Amino acid sequence: MADVAATPRYHRRRWRNRLATALSIGAAAFGLTWLVLILLVLVVKGMGGLSLAVFTEMTPPPGGTGGLLNPIIGSLILTMLAVLFGTPLGMLAGTYMAEYGRYSKLTMVVRFINDILLSAPSIVVGLFVYEIMVAQMGHFSAWAGAVALAIIVIPVVVRTTEDMLLLVPNTQREASAALGVPQWLVIRHIAYRAARAGIITGVLLAVARITGETAPLLFTALNNQFFSWNLNAPMASLPVIIFQFALSPYADWQQLAWTGALLITAAVLGLSILARALSAKKVQL
Amino acid sequence: MSLAIQTEVKEAPETPAEIAALEPKVSVRRLNFYYGAYRALADNNVELYKNKVTAFIGPSGCGKSTLLRILNRIYDLYPNQRAEGEVLLDGENILNPKQDVNLLRAKVGMVFQKPTPFPMTIYDNIAFGVRLYEQLPKSELDARVEDSLRRGALWDEVKDKLDASGLSLSGGQQQRLCIARTVAIRPEVILLDEPCSALDPISTAKIEELIDVLKQDYTIAIVTHNMQQAARTSDFTAFMYLGELVEFDETTKIFTNPRQQRTQDYITGRFG
Repeated sequence: MADVAATPRYHRRRWRNRLATALSIGAAAFGLTWLVLILLVLVVKGMGGLSLAVFTEMTPPPGGTGGLLNPIIGSLILTMLAVLFGTPLGMLAGTYMAEYGRYSKLTMVVRFINDILLSAPSIVVGLFVYEIMVAQMGHFSAWAGAVALAIIVIPVVVRTTEDMLLLVPNTQREASAALGVPQWLVIRHIAYRAARAGIITGVLLAVARITGETAPLLFTALNNQFFSWNLNAPMASLPVIIFQFALSPYADWQQLAWTGALLITAAVLGLSILARALSAKKVQL
Repeated sequence: MSLAIQTEVKEAPETPAEIAALEPKVSVRRLNFYYGAYRALADNNVELYKNKVTAFIGPSGCGKSTLLRILNRIYDLYPNQRAEGEVLLDGENILNPKQDVNLLRAKVGMVFQKPTPFPMTIYDNIAFGVRLYEQLPKSELDARVEDSLRRGALWDEVKDKLDASGLSLSGGQQQRLCIARTVAIRPEVILLDEPCSALDPISTAKIEELIDVLKQDYTIAIVTHNMQQAARTSDFTAFMYLGELVEFDETTKIFTNPRQQRTQDYITGRFG
């Protein structure tokens, strides 16, 4: 064999390889730089305002002292309700698409529409719920906010449920069907068991997504300067408070907005890491 | 390819005693099978005799597995697959749309090419199917699990780790777990679809021994690519080619004195 290393062709290839590697690293570094800068600013500006009061006191009037207790609780309630509405619906739809209706036309239509819903601007969702709930009821409410967030949760859960169930090998379905197991039990005991980690990951990702949503809440749950358990009344939430406080001229409000932003980011980061860890642990079949 | 083959009269078994002993458990009559518009089986006729092992041999794509998958209607899981003709189980046509497929599959168990343990404990792999049809007290269920694992020739290897995942077993053990799982729900017929093709020779030998024991209680059909395996394990053999059931007879006859030239060519290795 000729000495390949000496040929100009090989040199050219090596040089090209270096160039491609450098460009890839550069692009990755460019993207990461902004992410790091954003996190850095958040931590620097947000940490300053972090204190026990943030978690124990209500949002203050301008100039007063206070914390973020009501928006934190509000966000938790809204997110929980949205997951409570959205997860069962999304999982059932995803189950239909992957199991009962895998070969039906309806599934193709649902998948197409779901993909549109998945990338729909959230402000459109907010306006939609405003029309069907807020306008009808005559006032803003936590219920409306939860519904708007649920509409964002559903397509994410539908998609991951379907994808994860499709990953379950057909040999497992055949093996259980061959024992005379009816389809619904095959789905419950075999398919769900194998897809569980993936489906939970999908739900966590959906939670991460709605934790930071502001637009759909502006039109639905609105805001509340006071603590409230009343789901029929407007309710505070972290994203909306951040939006309001950050735009305000008051320094202490702006500080709380930074702190709130840090809290949300930390929560989303935590959820993403948890989702990653779960999906890495997926059962091998 | 003459169609006369199908209608040819089969030679009678040698002695009157053998004739009397043969009781058809499953009778396949003029069976056709279609994947969409493609006809995969053409007018197949074959019998599975009670407490006998029937082997299906033939080159890849000849329809052996397709035929087996009709016998428990597992093909029902997929669209655009349909069977025409008759498959009689104890005289009842199981292709009848009114047939409850789950009950059928409880009677006609199946073991697949790749071992398919469920992602649960060894104990639950066995108990899963049993719990569907019977409500047994814990002690009886334990006994059933043990009995099934013994019949699957696996008990001694797993008796101390019934709570371990079924996936933690070796390939050969997994396959015996699948056989034990099938036996646990007390079927009448067991279909084995190339059960040893993913296994090493030692595991294969174990499963072949197992087949020999199991036929005392069950009617067995086995699809295999391995002609020695067919010769070793079966009482009857059906040779299939391009969707046709070319020849069906006692295994000794098929391997020593086949009536069809194509059977002869295949078993002597001239094609396939």
